[in-house]
Amino acid sequence: MKKRGLPDLFFVILVLYLFFPILATSLYAFATKWNKTIFPEGITFKWISTLFQDMNFIEAFGRTVLLSGGAVVIAFLFVVPAIFVIVLYFPKYEKWIQAIVVMVYAFPGVILAVGLIRAYSKIGVPMVFVVLGAYVIGILPYIYQSTRNSLRNVNARQLLDAAELLGASKVQSFLKVLLPSVYPGLFAGALLSFSVLFGEFVLINLVVGSRFETVQIYLVKKLETSGHIASAVVFVYLVLMGILTITISVLTKRSKGVANT
Amino acid sequence: MSYVVIEGLHKKYGTSTVLSNIDMTIEKGEFVTLLGPSGCGKSTILRIIAGLTDATAGVVKIEGKDMTRIQPKNREVGMVFQSYALFPNMTVKENVSFGLKMKKMEQKEIEKQVQEILDIVHLTEKADAYPHELSGGQQQRVALARALIVRPKVLLLDEPLSALDAQIRKKLQSDLRSIQMELGMTMVLVTHDQEEAMAVSDKILVMNKGEIAQIGTPTEIYTKPKTEFIANFIGHYNVFSRQELEKMIGKTLPGKGAKFAIRPEAIHVKMEADDFYMIGIAKESVMSGNVIRTVFQAGDRTYSVEQLHQRAQHFEVGKAYECYVAPKDVIELT
Repeated sequence: MKKRGLPDLFFVILVLYLFFPILATSLYAFATKWNKTIFPEGITFKWISTLFQDMNFIEAFGRTVLLSGGAVVIAFLFVVPAIFVIVLYFPKYEKWIQAIVVMVYAFPGVILAVGLIRAYSKIGVPMVFVVLGAYVIGILPYIYQSTRNSLRNVNARQLLDAAELLGASKVQSFLKVLLPSVYPGLFAGALLSFSVLFGEFVLINLVVGSRFETVQIYLVKKLETSGHIASAVVFVYLVLMGILTITISVLTKRSKGVANT
Repeated sequence: MSYVVIEGLHKKYGTSTVLSNIDMTIEKGEFVTLLGPSGCGKSTILRIIAGLTDATAGVVKIEGKDMTRIQPKNREVGMVFQSYALFPNMTVKENVSFGLKMKKMEQKEIEKQVQEILDIVHLTEKADAYPHELSGGQQQRVALARALIVRPKVLLLDEPLSALDAQIRKKLQSDLRSIQMELGMTMVLVTHDQEEAMAVSDKILVMNKGEIAQIGTPTEIYTKPKTEFIANFIGHYNVFSRQELEKMIGKTLPGKGAKFAIRPEAIHVKMEADDFYMIGIAKESVMSGNVIRTVFQAGDRTYSVEQLHQRAQHFEVGKAYECYVAPKDVIELT
C-alpha cells in the first residue's frame, strides 16, 4: 500500500489553517463568554437574536441586497445580451471584452474610488448610483466567463442553426432553445457576482461612506463595540455564502450534464 | 431540370478563397456525397445550401427556385450536425416534435408522426429520455429523426457519423441508406471517409482545395480516378511517374500522361496474356481483416499488392517475386 503520511499531514494542516478562523468566529457568535478558557463557557443565541432585532442591521442587509442584486440585474439586462451577440455572431470582437475584463482586475479599489469621486462628485449624480455603475462593470469578468462558457458548453451557435432550420424564428430559437439550455450557467454566474458584491467594502466605504450603511460597513462599526455581534454578522454572512456556494455547485453540475449532450 | 442546382458558387473569407466556381446538380431522391479532406470546403457548401452561410457569389436553386434571399427557416432544408445539436433542455420526444410545433401542427397529429419516426429509428423506448442519457449512436438517431420528421426537400448531413465508433458507424450507414431509399428523400452527405461515401452514395463529388476534383458514381470514382490527388485519397492506389513505371515494366506506355495509377488488388502473381510484369522484393505483409497488403521494393520505388486473405499467396519477406498487371488496369492520370 502506498504511504501517504506527509501529503495527508499537509492537507490536514491546510484545512485546519483555513477552517480554524471560521470555526472560532462562528463559535464566538454563539459564546456566552470566551475570554480565559480554551472553549466557550456557554452557548447562547443572544447575539444572533440581538442582531436580527437591530433595525440598523436589517436595513444594512436590505441595502446590500438591493445594491448587489441591482448591479447583477442591470448586468444581466444589458451586459449579458451584448455578450450573447458578440460571442455568437461577432466573435472577432471578443478580444475587446477580454481586454476590459483584464482592466477590471488591474484597477485597485482605492484608485478606482478616488477616480470615481473626482469624476462624479461635482455633477450631481448620487454617489450610490455611481457605485452601482462601478459594480456592474466590476462583475463583468464573472458575467462574461459564465456566459461565454455556458454558450460554448452547449455549442450555442449550432443549437440556434438547428432550431432555425426546423422552422423557428431567431426569437423563438433564443427563447425556447438557447435560454433554457444555458440558464444554469448564467444563474451560477449571477450568484457568484452577487456573493462577490455582497462582501465588497472598499468602494462603498470610500465613495459613499456611512451615509449608505451596508452589511460590511455595519460589521466594521460593530467590531469597535461588540466582538460577539461582529462575529454574529460574519456567521450570517458565512451561512449566506455557504447557501450560494452550494447552489452554484449544484447548478454547475447540472450545467455540465447539459454540456455532455 | 435537376432538383437542386448550384451554379458558380464562390466563397471567400477575407482574402482566403474557400470555394471556387462550384457547379453541381442533384436529382430528386438522390444520395449525393461531398467527399474530401478537412478544410476543402465541403461543409461550407452544405451551410450555403441551408442558408446558414452566405455565398460570395453564385446561386443555389431548389426545385427551380432561387434560394439566395430565402431565410433558413423557410428553405425546407433539414440538417444533421456532426455534434448532433440536440436541444439539451428537451426530451427525445420534444426534440423530435420541435419542427412540427413550429409548423403549428395539431398535437394529435404531432404525437402520431413522432411515434412513427421513432419507430423508424428504433428509439420508441427512449422517447422520454434527455439527450445526455443517450449513447452517441442514439443521439445521432434522434438528430436524424428530428430532421426527417419535417419532411425537408433536401436533407443535409454534415459528417453525422464521424464521432461514432466503427461498428456503430457501419450500422448507421446502412440504416441511413435504407431510410433514404424508403422515404425517397434527397440527401447530401459530407464526409472525409471514402469507405462511407462508397457505401451509401448514388453519386460522389470529390473535393480538393475548394474545387470539385471529380464527379461520378462510387464505381467510377474508385476505378477511374482522374488525378493523383483522387487516386491517393480514394484508396491505396500505387501512383507512379511515367518514367518510373516504364522502367519497372520495361515497356513504353501509351498516351501522354505523366502519372499512372494501379489499384493494389489489380497486381497479381499469376501471368495472363499481354500483362505487364515487374519484379519486386517482398518487404512486409500486413493483414487488415479480410485483406493482406504486401509491400514490394522495385529499385528505389515501392508498390503494394492486396489479396483476399483466404486466397492469398504467401510472400516470403526478402524474396523476389514477379508481379503482373493487365494494361487496362494501368490508369493514366491527368
